[in-house]
Amino acid sequence: MSTLYNPKMTRRESLKRMGSMTSVVMIGGIAVACETLEPEAMVVDPSSHWPDLDFAVISENGYGTDPNMISPTTPWPRTLTSAQLDQVAVLSDIICPQDDRGPSATAVGVPDVIDEWVSAPYSSQHRDRVQMLNGLQWLDNEADRRFSCSFVAASDAQQIEIVEDIAYRDLGDVPEFEHAVQFFSRLRRLVFGGYFTSPEGIEDIGYIGNVPVVGDYPGPTDEAMEHLNRVIADLEEF
Amino acid sequence: MASFEGFEYDVLVVGSGAGGGMSAHILTEAGIRVLLLEAGRAYDPVTETPMFQQNHEAPLRGVSTSDKNFGYYDATVDGGWQVPGEPYTEADGTRFMWWRARMLGGRTNHFGRLVPRFTPEDFNMADRDGLGENWPIDYDEVAPWYDRTEKLIGVSGTNPGLEDTPASADGVLQPPPKPRVYELLLKAVTDKMGIPAVPMRRAVITRDLGDRKACFYATGCGRGCSIGAAFQTTTSLLPWAQKTGNMKLVTDAMVKEVHVDENGQASGVTFVNRLTNEDIRVDADRVILAASACETARLMLNSKSAMHPNGLANSSGQIGRNLMDSLGADMSGYIPALKGRPKYNEDGYAGNHLYIPWWDNEGQKDGSLNFTRGYHFEVDGGFGSPGMGVASHVDGYGKQAKNEVRDLFGTSIGLSLRGEMVQSENCYCEIDEEVKDKWGIPVLKFHWKWSEQELNQVAHGLKWGKKIIEAMGGIVDNPDATPERAIKAGGQIIHEVGTTRMGHSPATSVVNQWGQCWDVDNLYVMDGGVFTSNPHKNCTLTILTLAMRNATHLAEEMTAGEAP
Repeated sequence: MSTLYNPKMTRRESLKRMGSMTSVVMIGGIAVACETLEPEAMVVDPSSHWPDLDFAVISENGYGTDPNMISPTTPWPRTLTSAQLDQVAVLSDIICPQDDRGPSATAVGVPDVIDEWVSAPYSSQHRDRVQMLNGLQWLDNEADRRFSCSFVAASDAQQIEIVEDIAYRDLGDVPEFEHAVQFFSRLRRLVFGGYFTSPEGIEDIGYIGNVPVVGDYPGPTDEAMEHLNRVIADLEEF
Repeated sequence: MASFEGFEYDVLVVGSGAGGGMSAHILTEAGIRVLLLEAGRAYDPVTETPMFQQNHEAPLRGVSTSDKNFGYYDATVDGGWQVPGEPYTEADGTRFMWWRARMLGGRTNHFGRLVPRFTPEDFNMADRDGLGENWPIDYDEVAPWYDRTEKLIGVSGTNPGLEDTPASADGVLQPPPKPRVYELLLKAVTDKMGIPAVPMRRAVITRDLGDRKACFYATGCGRGCSIGAAFQTTTSLLPWAQKTGNMKLVTDAMVKEVHVDENGQASGVTFVNRLTNEDIRVDADRVILAASACETARLMLNSKSAMHPNGLANSSGQIGRNLMDSLGADMSGYIPALKGRPKYNEDGYAGNHLYIPWWDNEGQKDGSLNFTRGYHFEVDGGFGSPGMGVASHVDGYGKQAKNEVRDLFGTSIGLSLRGEMVQSENCYCEIDEEVKDKWGIPVLKFHWKWSEQELNQVAHGLKWGKKIIEAMGGIVDNPDATPERAIKAGGQIIHEVGTTRMGHSPATSVVNQWGQCWDVDNLYVMDGGVFTSNPHKNCTLTILTLAMRNATHLAEEMTAGEAP
């Protein structure tokens, strides 16, 4: 299942991304190059079952208080390594697979959205960055512990076995998985958020606004009104 | 007559939002020449509004950041809860949030366009509960100006005939859009509860009005409106004023001081050119301040002189006092019966089509409620453009979770309480003598404390909001909310008013009923600072209306040669 994800970004953006890697990622308070972000290089507390890696706030500029709203651009470079992008891609399609109503998360570029997100120089995205990078590392540690391989290298069934342990909020009560459940919950929001805000996702979910209406707003369709009237009829008396 | 760069003018106006924009329009139409100073940059909604741009085109899918607090596409530029280099401070234990927009048109570019009127009783609430002060004017005096303002700016809505919704004159209002499914469901249950749900009055036109086009029911009004359907001064009052040839507009002009002559009368201002960091002094025969309630108070407090040692026109000591915001608390829930409901275009004109006005004046009069001022509920929900929070309530993964997101689309309901606070000696702003902004101007320090009145009101709102959502068959997201936790910070609703209030007496108020300073009769305040109380009805319509009335009065006096 180890699909190699092809980022939907230009070569220029790629180069920008590469150039930024050596300066922005901190591990345990020490700046390291992203390319060296390998399990062996990480300081993992074996008792916590969470990598607890520290990452410095991205120091790139944001888009500022007066950005171009007509033709938006994102000024900061992306920072995920290709290995991390692959891992995000695998997870994205586990969370949001192709089905009969819409494409998969990777087909609409969700890993790019997440890369842009965790690379942003804003505080809430920084919190996500710390959680995501730790979560990705946790998944690799967990796959290594269970199957002696990375998460991406694990089989589909092995990946699902791990995901099943962390994909539901009530599993957060299991101390062993507490951090990982929180991570997965946040990742799920980002993946579905990225998917359903994409043009394909908007069509999939059935949002049919953002089009100019000529004349008066027509209001609910007959079908919508029939449904509403049934809902009202079914309401309990109070 | 004063002049600047060869332009001669009768009146200098500070600020281009609701108060300044209306003042400039009225005066220039009367043939009076106006120099308008705006602290922010020039801004043109026709070319700058992101109409139809979607979340996926923006960085971070358009979510809020510290650069754009209301999301990437919000009209506010160079502003928000913080303005770089222009801080404010809070007293110990105070939480106050101050939204500023440094742009032409100010906050009118992004406001919610909710424009309910004050009621007759709203002008005399001290008679009901002995709290605060009555206004020096009454509803009968203001009503014709409400009509004129509504007709001018374009308001859609109805006259439902409720105590909390005074009627406009015939022919003033444009028709409102049809309610949506979730609003009709709400109305079905509130009707049975004896609680009204009626069309929200909004400054969004549904019929062409002059050069402005009727709403085409796409693009959130907070982005601004390139076709002028959603009212903002930058597509109406300001271009109209410029068209007369009687106005010179200077942007990036941050006024730091109002000067007085040897008689203590206003004689001009000094502003910082924000692009060159240069101080520029200009003369004026008359000055109108409309920089927003707190910014105007700051300017007056910072304009000290031998004649005005406590700040300009502040012999009452009331400048900065009586600061009020609306109080806010949000409730939300999800309606299982709306799962998978039939899709249709539910954008409408972006904000509420229906809202819940205050319904229990009787309970307050007979003493069965433990708070004396009212509130309303704004309603939201629907099939909005999907955002990054679309899967907030979904668990698991895979096809099942994906289907769950689809099913939950359009099932949420939100009720936002917007209430009237009672003015308090604990809520005010003053100059922080220790902190200056990047222009060297001393900044404001805020003091704030909610009283039992507000907490009791929020407790009532939480109880009834929960009842309403549950009556819709809904599940409340935050059933255990407490008033202390649910109430928003002071300033967070962005309805701050009262800092230069009008009144009957120079001893207890800053301006008279015409917005004219008691102490300096060629100095006027025409923003929300003049409010004597802050009814729960969103403040912009009344700012516009008072500015129209008072600028008209000034123009008449000037034309008759009677103005100071």
